[in-house]
Amino acid sequence: MDSSLLANADTVVARARTGDPEALASLYRAFEVPVYNLARRICRTTEDAEDVLQETFFEVCRSIGRYREEGSLWGWVRTIAASKALMRIRRNKYRDTDELHDEVVGKRTEDSHLRMDLEAALERLSETSRAVVWLHDVEGYTHEEIASMMGKTPSFSKSQLARAHSRLRTWLGEEGAA
Amino acid sequence: MSQTHLSMEALLSLREPGVEPGTATAREHLNQCPVCQAELDRLHQRVARLKALPPLRPGRDRWPETNARFRAERRRRTGRMAGLTGLAAAASLAAVISLGRMTQPAHATVEQLYQTMERSQALESALSQYNPEGRMLDGRTARMAQELEDRIARVDRELEATELLPQEAPEDQLLRLWRERVGLLDALVDVHVTRASNAGL
Repeated sequence: MDSSLLANADTVVARARTGDPEALASLYRAFEVPVYNLARRICRTTEDAEDVLQETFFEVCRSIGRYREEGSLWGWVRTIAASKALMRIRRNKYRDTDELHDEVVGKRTEDSHLRMDLEAALERLSETSRAVVWLHDVEGYTHEEIASMMGKTPSFSKSQLARAHSRLRTWLGEEGAA
Repeated sequence: MSQTHLSMEALLSLREPGVEPGTATAREHLNQCPVCQAELDRLHQRVARLKALPPLRPGRDRWPETNARFRAERRRRTGRMAGLTGLAAAASLAAVISLGRMTQPAHATVEQLYQTMERSQALESALSQYNPEGRMLDGRTARMAQELEDRIARVDRELEATELLPQEAPEDQLLRLWRERVGLLDALVDVHVTRASNAGL
């Protein structure tokens, strides 16, 4: 388990399973920042990320009894968070077309020759591309796992990642040919 | 050496575990092409920089709302369970006691237990009309509500544990717990009634 994030994790989980409010609060405090960070890196707004944070821990509180300790506690919490974040961007996609946003942003920034910092460049990616980049490159999920969470194919995840890296490379002003 | 440089997808596939079709050819090209080697280096560096980005932190504490929502759901569940099985359990308890012991004080306790559980259900119903988890609460009210929700949750855990005891049902203990639950629910309803009247609802 994640001794670095949560001291006495076994005891805390055992108490959380009984619904102990202090233990549930300890789980929240231990994973609040990494969950929010993952959500904010994927979602477009802080409000969406905060909602994902709340949805994630609501689910953690409800389902901690089903956590089987087969993987790390953070791995379990992270999968819930990733799934909630992807659900959020899917919902947003019905409101405004993510692909259109991606195309417009892509054309605008490629033409402008702006050199951005990494945070700004990441922010400019579409939610879907950003989700794939973050889940694959930072959180270490495989294309198969991302595809399963997104309800897409591994090829979709691979092409999203390649497209995102090509854009990042341009926006960051990195030179070279590929 | 092929004159065409590797695509981003081909470069990315070189970072993946396992060997995909075309990987051997791509690797062969890479070994001889300084341009693609530099591109792969940049890719490695970009990913390292992504991993090194500082963590973003939430602007506000979402635990009180999350906890209140969870408690409310749990309480509703307990309330439903009490509605479905609690009164039935109390009824069978009454039957067991009247058949087995026929002692007046115990019977009186079960009657009181019935009444207290019914009162608990009535308060749950009153509380649901205020839909507390769906409304914004000011900080002080949210803290008071959360403290009460936490205390109700502790009582619920004690009730669950007591009802699971393998031996004879300790009706005095059950009554004490259900009375405590009713007192806390009463206070919680008061908190929401006061908040609603202050807000002119």
